[in-house]
Amino acid sequence: MLELRPILSALWRHKISALLIAVQLGLTLAIVGNATVVIQERMDTIARPTGVAVEDIVTANFMPIPKDYDRMEAFRLDLDMMRQLPGVVAATVSRAPLAGGGSSAGFHTKPNQEIGATNSATFRVDEHFIDALGMRLVAGRNFTANEIREIGRESTWQPDTTVITQQLADKLFAGGEALGKSIYYGGGDHPMEIVGIVERNLGPWPNSPIAGNSIFLPMIMDTQWFDYIIRAEPGQRDAVAKLLQEKLAERDPRRVVDVKTLEEQLNRSYAGDNTMITVLSGVVGLLTFIVALGIVGLTVFWITQRQKQIGVRRALGATRTAISRYFLLENLLIAASGIAIGVAAAQIFNHFLASEFDQPALPLSTTLTCALILLGVSLAAALVPALRAANISPATATRSV
Amino acid sequence: MFGYYISLALRSLRGTPILSALMVAAIAVGVGASMTTLTLNYMMSRNALADKDDVLYALQLDSWDPHEARNNPSEMPWQITYKDATSLLRSDIPTHQVAMHRWGGPVNRDDSEMRPYTAEARVTSRDFFTLFDVPFTYGGTWSSEADNNPVYQIVLSQETNEKLFNGENSVGRTVNFNGTPFRVVGVIEHWQPSPKVHDLNNGDFLESAEVFIPFGLHRSLEIYPWGNTNGWLTEDIDSYEGYLGSEYVWVQYWVQLDSKEQLERYRDYLTGFIREQKQQGRFPRPLKFGLSKPSEWLVLNEVVDDDARMLNWLSLSFLLVCLVNAVALLLAKFLRKAPEAGVRRALGASRKAVFSQHLVESGCIGLAGGLAGILLTMAGLTLIRHLAMGYMDRVASMDWLMMLSAIGLAILSSLLAGLYPAWRISRTNPSIYLKTQ
Repeated sequence: MLELRPILSALWRHKISALLIAVQLGLTLAIVGNATVVIQERMDTIARPTGVAVEDIVTANFMPIPKDYDRMEAFRLDLDMMRQLPGVVAATVSRAPLAGGGSSAGFHTKPNQEIGATNSATFRVDEHFIDALGMRLVAGRNFTANEIREIGRESTWQPDTTVITQQLADKLFAGGEALGKSIYYGGGDHPMEIVGIVERNLGPWPNSPIAGNSIFLPMIMDTQWFDYIIRAEPGQRDAVAKLLQEKLAERDPRRVVDVKTLEEQLNRSYAGDNTMITVLSGVVGLLTFIVALGIVGLTVFWITQRQKQIGVRRALGATRTAISRYFLLENLLIAASGIAIGVAAAQIFNHFLASEFDQPALPLSTTLTCALILLGVSLAAALVPALRAANISPATATRSV
Repeated sequence: MFGYYISLALRSLRGTPILSALMVAAIAVGVGASMTTLTLNYMMSRNALADKDDVLYALQLDSWDPHEARNNPSEMPWQITYKDATSLLRSDIPTHQVAMHRWGGPVNRDDSEMRPYTAEARVTSRDFFTLFDVPFTYGGTWSSEADNNPVYQIVLSQETNEKLFNGENSVGRTVNFNGTPFRVVGVIEHWQPSPKVHDLNNGDFLESAEVFIPFGLHRSLEIYPWGNTNGWLTEDIDSYEGYLGSEYVWVQYWVQLDSKEQLERYRDYLTGFIREQKQQGRFPRPLKFGLSKPSEWLVLNEVVDDDARMLNWLSLSFLLVCLVNAVALLLAKFLRKAPEAGVRRALGASRKAVFSQHLVESGCIGLAGGLAGILLTMAGLTLIRHLAMGYMDRVASMDWLMMLSAIGLAILSSLLAGLYPAWRISRTNPSIYLKTQ
């Protein structure tokens, strides 16, 4: 520790260079800390359980080509055909969740309300939907086949029963039992009894604030196109997708058929988050690398400049360790002061990002973790030049005087 | 003199290859990162309607829920109801006006073996092409009666005409769309504004419509729009007519108003229209409508999203770090050559000459960094196109302006970085170095 004084006085002579390194480290910490917290948030978003068997599900839809086409007959024949196919566990007629398309509506726990609705995604389903989506029923029962009603586009019919997600049940009936209670669509007065509760379903829009609020209604509506959800046996998904494309076209060629895997559609829904994660990780990696290079460059430069001085110290009896320690300590001093600036800068930068761009708050623990890592990187960058400095021969001192 | 400085600079750079490479790499990475996000932001904020920015207006009417404003920055629904759209179309104040929405369905030809496919459609009134300056290759738009009556005429995009008719003049031919035969009346030139300012409800950077059909077809085809339909009122709708007369908003509306006077008249007209509707019990909120220029419309719709803007700031700070890095390295490099500068000074070079010589050297590093930076930017944009899974294909690409800016940015940053080191070295006291030689 006796070396602190000479280090400080040497640093004072190189104050600009030292300051530049410190500023670099400070700015880097500010950026890396903020990038890390965003990366973390996005990764948490993507890692949320979806509540459905994403890896095994294939979705399909068809749009008829002729004008007068009996879509209601077509979907029944399709479902019968699909359920017979090898590798298919279950098939249902419904819009797939997680794919970015669907409807939502406001629901009340009392009839004839004008305000205070809870918004939820709605799915029209038949009695196979829990099985086809691979969801878990946590309370109550599934729909029965005779509850499912087939209606035209303009029908005003509303079902008497419904199945909802646990999350929505908790929101609508905070603290109470939802099963057996009734909910009301819009400001209406038609009660729909909650007969079942499924564990989880993120709904059509995984990034929406209402993700996880989902309502399933026992009805099939005649619309411009029909969507199917097919769950394959584990590992059979791609084979089933290929087979479906073939068989659906074969059963009736007078339509355009589109078959996709749910995983692909989910990836599409998360493409923005994935982009941010990759780009920000790239920024963090490159930045750390650049800063490390800068430290290597500068340490090498200082050592060549002070070659003679090192030779003299060695000639006067300083050990190799002492020389290396000197440069590492010097580096540590610069890095520590830079990082101290950085901790403050990170908080200021975060405040700006949070207020302007709605980014998550940066916890101090994240900043400190990043600070420690950066300190380690900085020391590691100085290590090789410092060890090499120790190899400078004491004879250097006697040369070229 | 400048040429001499450049040869000196190159010699000096070759003398310290590792340090020089480090500096070039630092500048290149900094420029690459910031140009990637700058390009994205620049492409995302382009205004395809800039030429008509003073005369075009996106229209909004506040027909929303009395209890709460529509949940978006404008506090009004982005779209209007069908019944309001058809009423407004009757006004003769605007030079041109367009009511439209997204739709789609299978297209095919009876006289061709080609496989039917699903096409994105725009159901629109006939002024679409004049209002948005969409040029025709063949034919033109449909007749004006098609805005109110079922007229089965269709306009194809260049790409669709290529697919269906191999790019031949298809005017007068027939295509089936959603099971109904339509007569082709026009084929437009390639027209893919990005962001597609005319339709910001359905993926700002996706492709424009592939076919266009008249706005008078709703009743005969029972068209339910693709894209967003939003409502606030619970209505018992038991027929298609009921749907058309409902409070659901799903029609996008644009007007062209060429003069201030025309704009004022149209404002008065809208005020009168809403007052009239209020008397019939509609428009329960305070009287409010919106007329936004294309440039304002892009901002209001937050086309450049928070993520893109944040990345922009982040990468500019990244560039700053790279700059500080370059300053430190340049300083080290120049100071190492201090004896050389000392000798030059002793031999009569002025401080200014030493200063400019070193600044030229920094500029050379910047130029090299800029060129490498362009390559990195392209790599960065390719990565983003790949990650966004097709969504950013139209915006994640570099034009000449952006390439020149990349080089400009690199040279500017390296000159800035070189300023202090060059000044420092020009202050070298020659006598010290003369003594020790």
